[in-house]
Amino acid sequence: MNRDRKYRYLTAFCLLGTGLIFVFLLNICIGTVRIALPDIVQIMTGQESAEETVTRILWDIRFPRAAAVLILGGALALAGYLLQTFFRNPIAGPFVLGISSGAKMAVALVMIFLMKRMVRVTSADMIAAAFAGALLSMGFVLLLSRRVGSMSILVVSGVMIGYICSAVTDLVVTFADDADIVNLHNWSKGSFSGMTWENVKVMAAVVTVTVFLVFLLSKPLGAYQLGDAYAANAGVNLKWLRAGIVIFSSMLSACIVAFAGPVSFVGIAAPHLVKKLLGTVEPIFMIPACFLGGSVFCLFCDLLARTILAPTELSISTVTAIFGAPVVLWIMGRKHADKQD
Amino acid sequence: MGTDREVYYFATKKMCVGYGEKPLIKDVEIALEKGKIVSLIGPNGAGKSTVLKSIAGQLKLLGGAVYLGKTDMADMKGNTLAKKMSVVFTQKVRAELKTCRDVVATGRYPYTGWFGVLSKEDGRIVDEVMELAHITDIGGQDFQKISDGQKQRVMLARALCQEPEIIVLDEPTSYLDIRYKLEFLSILDEMRKKKGLTVIMSLHELELAKLISDKILCLKGEYIERYGTPEEIFEADFIRKLYGIEDGIFAEDERFQAYIRQVGSYGEGNYGSGDDVRRW
Repeated sequence: MNRDRKYRYLTAFCLLGTGLIFVFLLNICIGTVRIALPDIVQIMTGQESAEETVTRILWDIRFPRAAAVLILGGALALAGYLLQTFFRNPIAGPFVLGISSGAKMAVALVMIFLMKRMVRVTSADMIAAAFAGALLSMGFVLLLSRRVGSMSILVVSGVMIGYICSAVTDLVVTFADDADIVNLHNWSKGSFSGMTWENVKVMAAVVTVTVFLVFLLSKPLGAYQLGDAYAANAGVNLKWLRAGIVIFSSMLSACIVAFAGPVSFVGIAAPHLVKKLLGTVEPIFMIPACFLGGSVFCLFCDLLARTILAPTELSISTVTAIFGAPVVLWIMGRKHADKQD
Repeated sequence: MGTDREVYYFATKKMCVGYGEKPLIKDVEIALEKGKIVSLIGPNGAGKSTVLKSIAGQLKLLGGAVYLGKTDMADMKGNTLAKKMSVVFTQKVRAELKTCRDVVATGRYPYTGWFGVLSKEDGRIVDEVMELAHITDIGGQDFQKISDGQKQRVMLARALCQEPEIIVLDEPTSYLDIRYKLEFLSILDEMRKKKGLTVIMSLHELELAKLISDKILCLKGEYIERYGTPEEIFEADFIRKLYGIEDGIFAEDERFQAYIRQVGSYGEGNYGSGDDVRRW
């Protein structure tokens, strides 16, 4: 690796790192109750000078929420990156391909089913349901992708699958009990509110393990990027690699949907911006950078979602779409321009 | 037939190839000593690429076997095979945000560790191969922005970087101008002389196939039409038949007739005898 590249990667990672710390702190400080940094330090170090309410807000609401956004945002960007690599399509992502919606449908069905029977729904149940739903949608997308060669048709099919799943979800929600609806409605539009430490623990465990496994795949992923023939010639077992990508990307997407509902565009926008920042597609750098980038992007968007119209909260997808959709348009415009060269 | 395998480095036995269930070409028998070059010729759509893909292990054989040395290729693990055989296909590598040197370096993949980090030794081999392929000066350029001819040389360097014993190439010279065609083939010639590289490739240019190959495999229809030395293949009306140039076609035009005669015969044209030609 030559010098220039080393510096570029180093700068990029420093930028992402400091950016992450910066938005994380903003997320903790800003809200209906503003908490100054010195107060946070005091509370963190256990000095009881601060008011009880402030301590509660910080520990029970803002910290777990920011932590959840950090974890899930990273997971979402990584899921997007994996799908883009898999389909060799820069605008593939869990939301666009209908995988989030499939997961959402499964979670809604399971929640209503369990709530009717007065069974408490645990985080693990939600993740399992979402994972099953994600794999189901992914299966459909894969079947379609075999039949149609064109990438744009694949994306359109994904969007259609998304619509079907959302329609089923809406239908189910309409027939649910009043009390459940409020819960389901917020969640099905996508929101990071109401995260507890218990949630954070579960998602941290699942996401950490998955990201670690994905990172172990960085060498075969790099070969896969060259094209099937050359990956096979390099000795990569394509079948296993493909299965790995499908499972891990579904798992990551499932995690986000289970806890925050479907969140749009982060999976496309964050990896793309990170790629531009790094100037490479090497998975060994892209995997950690995507995670950081997704975290920063989501923390920033969640901050806006909470504060723009406070005390009313916007759905997270509203904000991510505003910043993410233009990136998609930019990619498509550039792709078209490249072809004309 | 077991003795054959001791003599020949590369051999196919009753190999049947094709997509799906139905074999496209049956009973392909190739036998090749180490350091020899075999060219596949035949009309468009005859299945040259299919045969090459099957040999490279990328298309499941519908019957028969391919042997490298004494080993059935089907019994080789991905990484083992990768260190023995490399490929240059008509489809280029996808190389987003990669320099030419990066693309060449991907050939070192089977030799790197778990995370694919290149060692100093890997870097040295990459540089050496780039020198050999005359692409040192474009090493820093974006692979997607160079010409097709340059890309083809980068692809060759990538394949050689894999330090293969045998290399499979699908129409490697198609996009190259005459100078680079010759240069490309001279690199292969040099490698087989120096390192005993065995070469299997398809060629559209009959003149080139004639002058560089030790053996020529002619594909047409369901079975191998013919397999032999250039002297045996380029004789009388065989090329005419192989490519379906019937008597009626171009019959009136003496220029075309002369061209066909020249290409389709051995030792007649401007090239002199085969041995002279190999010294270029």
